[in-house]
Amino acid sequence: MVFKQLFNYLFIFLMLMLPTVSLFKFHQYMDIYEMFILIGTGITFIVIGKNWQNFRYLVLIVLILSFFSIFLYEGNLFSGEKQFVLKYFLSSQSAIMWMCSLYPLSLLIYWLYLFKRHSFFGNFASQLTWIATAMGFIGLLVRWFESYLISIDVGHIPISNLYEVFVLFCLVTALLHLYYEEKMNRKELGAFVLIVISVAVGFILWYTFSKGADAIQPLVPALQSYWMKIHVPANFVGYGAFAIAAMISVAYLLVNKGILKSRLPSLIILDDLTYKAIAIGFIFFTIATILGAVWAAEAWGGYWSWDPKETWALIVWLNYAGWLHLRLVKGLRGPMLAWWSVTGLLITTFAFLGVNLFLSGLHSYGEL
Amino acid sequence: MRFAITMLCFIGIASVIGTILKQNELYENYIIKFGQFWFEFFEVMGLYNVYQAFWFLVILIFLIISTSFCVSRNSPKILKEYKKFQLNAREKSLSSFKHSYEFPVKKFDFVKLEKLLLDNKFRLKRQIKKDGSLILSAKKGDFQKLGYIFTHLAIIIISIGGLMDGNLVLKMQELTGTKQIIYEDLALNDIPETGKLKTSNFSYRAQMLLREGEKQSVAVLKVKEGYLIQDLPFSVGLSDFRIKHYSTGQPKSFESDLIVEDKASGQLVKKTINVNNPLTFNGITIYQSSFEDGGSELALDIWNLHSPEKASKMESVIFKKNELVFNEKKYFFEFNDFRKFNILDIESGNKKTPTNVGPSFIYKVRNESGQAHEYQTYQFPMRIDKSLYFVSGMRKTPQEEYQYLKLPADANGEIEGFMIFRTLLHSPQTLNDAIEKVVAQSFPEGGEKSQIYFEGVKRVMSEFVHGGYSQIASSIDPSISLEDQKRIANSYIKIIFLVGQELIDIYQSNNAEIDNFLFESNYKFVQEALTGFNDSFFYGLPIFLELKEYVHIQSSGLQLTKSPGQFWVYLGCILLVLGIFCMIYIQEVRLWVLKKKDKKNVLVALTTNRHRYEFDQFAVRISQQIRKILN
Ligand code: HEM
Repeated sequence: MVFKQLFNYLFIFLMLMLPTVSLFKFHQYMDIYEMFILIGTGITFIVIGKNWQNFRYLVLIVLILSFFSIFLYEGNLFSGEKQFVLKYFLSSQSAIMWMCSLYPLSLLIYWLYLFKRHSFFGNFASQLTWIATAMGFIGLLVRWFESYLISIDVGHIPISNLYEVFVLFCLVTALLHLYYEEKMNRKELGAFVLIVISVAVGFILWYTFSKGADAIQPLVPALQSYWMKIHVPANFVGYGAFAIAAMISVAYLLVNKGILKSRLPSLIILDDLTYKAIAIGFIFFTIATILGAVWAAEAWGGYWSWDPKETWALIVWLNYAGWLHLRLVKGLRGPMLAWWSVTGLLITTFAFLGVNLFLSGLHSYGEL
Repeated sequence: MRFAITMLCFIGIASVIGTILKQNELYENYIIKFGQFWFEFFEVMGLYNVYQAFWFLVILIFLIISTSFCVSRNSPKILKEYKKFQLNAREKSLSSFKHSYEFPVKKFDFVKLEKLLLDNKFRLKRQIKKDGSLILSAKKGDFQKLGYIFTHLAIIIISIGGLMDGNLVLKMQELTGTKQIIYEDLALNDIPETGKLKTSNFSYRAQMLLREGEKQSVAVLKVKEGYLIQDLPFSVGLSDFRIKHYSTGQPKSFESDLIVEDKASGQLVKKTINVNNPLTFNGITIYQSSFEDGGSELALDIWNLHSPEKASKMESVIFKKNELVFNEKKYFFEFNDFRKFNILDIESGNKKTPTNVGPSFIYKVRNESGQAHEYQTYQFPMRIDKSLYFVSGMRKTPQEEYQYLKLPADANGEIEGFMIFRTLLHSPQTLNDAIEKVVAQSFPEGGEKSQIYFEGVKRVMSEFVHGGYSQIASSIDPSISLEDQKRIANSYIKIIFLVGQELIDIYQSNNAEIDNFLFESNYKFVQEALTGFNDSFFYGLPIFLELKEYVHIQSSGLQLTKSPGQFWVYLGCILLVLGIFCMIYIQEVRLWVLKKKDKKNVLVALTTNRHRYEFDQFAVRISQQIRKILN
């Protein structure tokens, strides 16, 4: 208990210290907004950590291992291919590959849990998901560092192309899932949520091995803005939450048909969770879209250009606004809304991926 | 409500169409894609510019009106509700609530009870009724209802802001004929008043293309296939445009050094703008939006690929035309672009990495019958498969991929070696000498056979020089078996290669001071040169243009935006976020505590307008706390 208390103080201290130290050390590379974002991130982590102890452990472990990895690099990009620990564990590429193998594994074990109902499997699946998530975040952080090793002017936050944001998508979705799982104290839903994550992992793997998408590319001029650091993560909290909502709705539809009824939470709980996920997603998605508009006004000369990505963001938004109207205004519940939220994921996926694949526009990063 | 939702659905569908059908393309492209009939149909429907189409604006206006009605109808009710505490609730109705609890009371400790409720963020009112009963009405989360006003007001404000920045006014002016879109290329002075928009124009997004060193005080507003001229309250001068690059060669930033001068006050502002960093001046924001060549000057060497002359010179300017008479034929050159940097995926090691291969220029060549080929020629040789080549792409239509002519660089990395080789192929004396040497290797003792062989090789060489391998192939007797044809062709190729090697050896021994061929072995060069020479017959042009020098002049594409609606849109957005937050995260709860005078019992009842999963737990918890206080 005392240890935990101490740890928590240490955590808060670190979340205030690290940004401050970075500010002093690297202020010449940041603009004022980035400084705010940095400090804000620390504070956000403190707030999340206050409600969620495990998040604190995650942050700390990710930080320690990332710093360890950076230390091992010794300022040389090629260490990633030579140094043993880097090559097999902590270089960004291998950390992300660990993430990619652990998520499908934990999906498997979640299903085992669903059928065997032995709490061992449940806890094990959860822990694997935590580890995969930690590896993913380490992968991204180290990648961030690696980009600076390529060249100081190439360095940028790794959320700038389709490969990187897919990793982010997996991580955000997993985190949200872990949060709900813990608050509800029920682990069955991992069997559904991890499906989306595993599909995303499949995409990452395909994208890496057939297209070499994992190469770090410098930022095109339009993306060089502090806005990216808030716009993109906000968007992905939205996408992740919508994905979770859709998968819980799948569970809802199954239970509604009497399938796996005895093994899954009740309809009321599932319905409530769907609502919560969509509500969270909707807020973040709204904010992200607005921030996108503000950014567009700065980069492209208009806050709204009816660019395909923008337009599809609007369609996604209207779709979930419709969902919320039906539920809040009409008080509607039931399979109709569940189907709607599943369809919502298809629309969201198109906005997220399809637009980049099939439609061209100003958002021309990450074409296949 | 139904109406608003229908409107929203329409907007959704229109948006989908707008993203699937590429907007604002050239009309020709649409005609090719859909055919004349559907092209016209879609055009009438405004599908090429959905978001500016009349019906789209009408839908937006309807949406604003219907949402306004909705807000104006509901808001007063909501505000009234905020003040109302429903102190006249009856015991009967209260006890019928799902969450209603009755229990005996010992001591009615008001202070404690009210403190508990206040701690739980309730607002309270109490009343002693005529019959002596006491009612305490508490409620919280009224902001949930305010959230409704916020979000819907936000929708209205955002839509109005959007309309302010839209082109409604322009559309009206166009309909009434006060403004007319110009469809042809006119000089500024020839543009009629109906084609000009005053500086007082309320809102616009206009373009300006500025050459380095140039100054302008009007911008161009693109409308459909044509344009209008937008007068500006200031002039914009461009002193320099730069593209900065990463070490890998990809562009890092596009920057324009601007000098803006206010017409009325003469106020002068200098600023460098780049993509995420515009300049706002007098309510108009100037963005870096594109760039193109501003008329770069090129000094070119003209090499005839099929005859042995030395290079002649040509001066040209991008966007200008040159005419050239060559081998008694006329060629019309249109120089279309100069690119100082070209990032190509070049093999290095066993990976492909983006590499800057240096300048290139793009031009079209039309022959007398009007047929045109497009070319992209690179200034410097690039490394392909371990060899250095001068590369020039050719294609017949813009839809095609380029096909590349690759001419090997000589030992100095220049094109001269290839051109000397070409001269040697065309010079009968040297060619004869080389053939003799080759023949002598096969027939060291000479004789009649060697004479026949000599004539044969000479014929093959002459065919190759005038038409490449395909010409030779057409001379092989087609009646013999395919296998034999192949065998003969291969032997010809071998002979040509041997002659090629001898050509260079002879040349080198006669010109010891020339260092173009100081290779360890000329084997590779001869092979590549022969391939290049052969390919030149398919180049569509007997001329190779070599870029010797250039003066790079650029134009910066600026966008000028006057957007008075932006403020309202942002305001609406803030309101929207606030509103959604209120609606989703604030739970409206009403609570009553009723104590009848004659009874020792107290009735606690709770209700919420939106039932949530957590509400049940909350109701149980708070009623127990109340019970504890009163017991
Ligand atoms: C942004 C998220 C939105 C939320 C959370 C939301 C929520 C609500 C709620 C709770 C009501 C019912 C109010 C009541 O009866 O007490 C309502 C009604 C309505 N909303 Fe929305 N709304 C949103 C966006 C929109 C949008 C984008 C539109 C259309 C432009 C819209 C149009 C309407 C209309 C027309 C009504 C019916 C008003 C009436 O007839 O009483 N809402 N909305």
